[in-house]
Amino acid sequence: MDRYVRALEKHIQEGGARAPKYVVDTVYFGGGTPSYFGAERLRRVYTALSRRFNIAKTAEVTLEANPESITEKGCRRLISTGFNRISIGVQTNNDQLLKVLGRPHTFRQAQKAMEIAREAGFQNISLDLMYGLPAQSPQAWADALGSVIDMQPEHISCYGLTVQPGTPLYQYRDQAALPNDDAQAAMYLYAVSTLEAYGYHQYEISNFAQTGKECAHNLKYWMGGEYMSFGPSAASDFAGTRYTFASDVNRYIRAIATGDAITTEVEYVPIKERAGEYLMLRMRTVYGIERKEYESTFLMPFDPLETVLNFYGTRGLTRYSRETGRWCLTPQGFLVSNQLINQLIDAQRKSTPLSPHRF
Amino acid sequence: MTDLDKIRNFSIIAHIDHGKSTLADRLLEACEAVEARDMEDQILDNMDLERERGITIKARAVRLLYPAADGETYVLNLIDTPGHVDFNYEVSRSLAACEGAVLVVDASQGVEAQTLANTYLAIDAGLEVLPVINKIDLPAADPQRVKREVEDIIGLPAEDAPEISAKNGINIPAVLEMIVRDLPAPEGDRSLPLRALIFDSQYDSYKGVIVYFRVMDGVIRQGMDVRMMSGGAVYKVVEVGYLHPRGMEPAEALGAGEVGYFTASIKNVSDTRVGDTVTGVEHPAAEPLQGYKDVQPMVYSGVYPADGAKYPELRDALEKLKLNDASLSYEPESSVALGFGFRCGFLGLLHMEIIQLRLEREFNLDLITTAPSVVYRVTRTDGTVTMIDNPLNYPDPTEIELAEEPFVRASIITPPEYVGGIMDLCQDRRGEYIDMTYLDQSRVELHYDMPLNEIIFDFFDCLKSRTRGYASLDYDLTGYRASNLVKLDVLLNGDVVDALSFILHADKAYPRARKICEKLKENIPRQLFEIPVQAAIGSKIIARETIKALRKDVLAKCYGGDITRKKKLLEKQKEGKKRMRSFGSVEVPQEAQDPRKQLFPRTNHWAFISIFPFAAANVSTAISIPCPGRKRPRS
Repeated sequence: MDRYVRALEKHIQEGGARAPKYVVDTVYFGGGTPSYFGAERLRRVYTALSRRFNIAKTAEVTLEANPESITEKGCRRLISTGFNRISIGVQTNNDQLLKVLGRPHTFRQAQKAMEIAREAGFQNISLDLMYGLPAQSPQAWADALGSVIDMQPEHISCYGLTVQPGTPLYQYRDQAALPNDDAQAAMYLYAVSTLEAYGYHQYEISNFAQTGKECAHNLKYWMGGEYMSFGPSAASDFAGTRYTFASDVNRYIRAIATGDAITTEVEYVPIKERAGEYLMLRMRTVYGIERKEYESTFLMPFDPLETVLNFYGTRGLTRYSRETGRWCLTPQGFLVSNQLINQLIDAQRKSTPLSPHRF
Repeated sequence: MTDLDKIRNFSIIAHIDHGKSTLADRLLEACEAVEARDMEDQILDNMDLERERGITIKARAVRLLYPAADGETYVLNLIDTPGHVDFNYEVSRSLAACEGAVLVVDASQGVEAQTLANTYLAIDAGLEVLPVINKIDLPAADPQRVKREVEDIIGLPAEDAPEISAKNGINIPAVLEMIVRDLPAPEGDRSLPLRALIFDSQYDSYKGVIVYFRVMDGVIRQGMDVRMMSGGAVYKVVEVGYLHPRGMEPAEALGAGEVGYFTASIKNVSDTRVGDTVTGVEHPAAEPLQGYKDVQPMVYSGVYPADGAKYPELRDALEKLKLNDASLSYEPESSVALGFGFRCGFLGLLHMEIIQLRLEREFNLDLITTAPSVVYRVTRTDGTVTMIDNPLNYPDPTEIELAEEPFVRASIITPPEYVGGIMDLCQDRRGEYIDMTYLDQSRVELHYDMPLNEIIFDFFDCLKSRTRGYASLDYDLTGYRASNLVKLDVLLNGDVVDALSFILHADKAYPRARKICEKLKENIPRQLFEIPVQAAIGSKIIARETIKALRKDVLAKCYGGDITRKKKLLEKQKEGKKRMRSFGSVEVPQEAQDPRKQLFPRTNHWAFISIFPFAAANVSTAISIPCPGRKRPRS
């Protein structure tokens, strides 16, 4: 573990040298279960970061945590280190289901973790929830959502369960009484309207927040910002290039020490590709896309996209705001966003770039 | 040239699966026509499809040298013929090239519909028919009973018929001796002007068309000028010779009574039509041989490339197939839904299936085929008569004075216990009962007059399932009858999908319309909005289903590390879309790649829908249907 921390420190040092003029406004410790890492090691890593990077005073610094790993002492230490946001994986309020999902915590533990974090001084707490769980009825979902709202977090993420190949649930998915697509869609729409009623605005397909508490870090991903990551499997998008590190920890540690190559995927993303990503990522959010911004950034015509957007607008899947001039998906549209985004990208590919003289 | 009295020209005829090709293999072996190491099953059926399906599609001939018990060596020309009802004309021409036929009858199954049909064809062609009882090694074999059947039902003496097992090589010499002893030698005068009967031809990319023929009179020589008597084309013979199981043996000349091939740099197989007579340009025969006819397709279907850009490839492929198959006809047509394709005419359903499979396999094309249609005869109010082979051309009902559809006389042979079920089926298919004869205690022959349209729907499959495969079917076109016909249109999202239209009897319209709507609903994936599926006659909607809108297709999480993966996912979905076709406003994915993914039952009317590349330009016209499964080979 300490070898890993040392590798991270060294890696951060190298990374910092690549970004001398950047001001870092968000830091996120996530992926896997960083809370198991222990507050002390987290502090060491954060210290390394703050030494090598120019981290803004107002930066959002988030830790992803599992309920059973949250302690009072740990939380206080994190606060003093500079962490100011914590995201807790509650998942659901039914202990039986938590077991099915392979989660070691109980709902009671999750509530407790929330209280501890709050008392320790976290002003910005996010809770993760899942719907579409085995045998989950609409009533059970409403109940789970209600219990989480009662915990009064600033931010809530709601994910539909996707049964991935390789997970234990995958093997007996046919017997698992999973809610069908229609039922899942109903659960999703119920969540969107309920959360709105309680002051949590939807700002991305799966994310809801009180005004001003949207996750600045995740928005970077969706708005096409730059980010630099450290650790095995970590993905970065920095200086026009997207790259991912080796997923094996030992290989990662060794490579950092010896200076060997550690990236497994490196992809320079040309502007044309960025235009597609703009659609793919922006349309996940309620900020959506806008003609002028699109045309001047990518020199591509917006009209073909608008044809698609208009067509689905009349069917309640897309929405145009006169005030902002932006197009985005409605909650119904988010539900079929894969299809819609594909159609937009398709329309984009078939369009002819604009003449640069226009701008 | 061999003396006439040392030549025997014969065919082997049988019901399907009674062992025709296996017997041919044994005869070849007995005559050492093939080196043992080159021997393989069904050696004459060298098309993959033929081997796979156990059927013979192309006629083929082979020359065997048989040292008989009398000490003489005889030339045996075996002409292998297709056995299926679709190829009756080809069979009749092959038979006309022979003096005799060996009739193979299964020792347990006995006489079947095609046994009768093929025997009658042979007898009509004036052939000596010699029965052979095959598969005597099977536990259920009852050679004595089957011999009695052959005598009682067909009226051929069968007492001395060899009892053999082609599979196990039992008693094969008896068949050869019988051929030499009991079949007549060919007659023919080699001093007369040349008359040779074409019984098949094949295209070879080096030599051009290879014509298979039997010389009836005169002599054909290398270098001579010949004329096709009905086609009129003239060629100089480049090469003439004998046919071996593997390859050909050039000779100087072939005389009356002999069977062989010639090549003459012929580019087009349709210049060498099966049944045509070849004669010399210098000393032409006065009269052609009898029996030539221009074969008319019975069944039509639209054939479209799944990928519209492959239209030229499809045209080339059809051209190439036509080189080998003069009975295939095609002409360009276009459909709003499917783009550019061809209206193809086939001899029957099997022929249709074979052509489609060959286009797919040999030319690597993905096809979309429309429902098979028969040829309707429509007399308009102004008195003009039109033959309609495409529902798209069906006139408006107000313009129709009289509509007629082709009828066939169907002959079904079945064990008696299934008679009830078959009668129900025939009744349901608008069959008109003619008669019923007990062939013996275990077999009944039923005759019905039925619309061909009903037979090409799914009659054969229904018959098989109702009789556990015991019934056999044969049919002959008898003519046209007036009928109350209507054109049924299918609408997706309010737009008529022209490729889905078909003509049927008015009484059948309602149930079939309902069934089609249900099936389409099951098979068209949900789109982003609700799609009505309707069936209509004219402007009257007679059935309706609704495909509900797709509710959910979303990636819940997409953070930094997911972006590359997500992009790949979208890419993959897009690949799928490439195989989509839009029908009006409905996009149809094509699952046709995998023949096992049979979304649509084989002979169902609309068993053909497929896909377009999604045109973003007309989003307003965008939905999807999974394509119909590629049809499965029928065995």
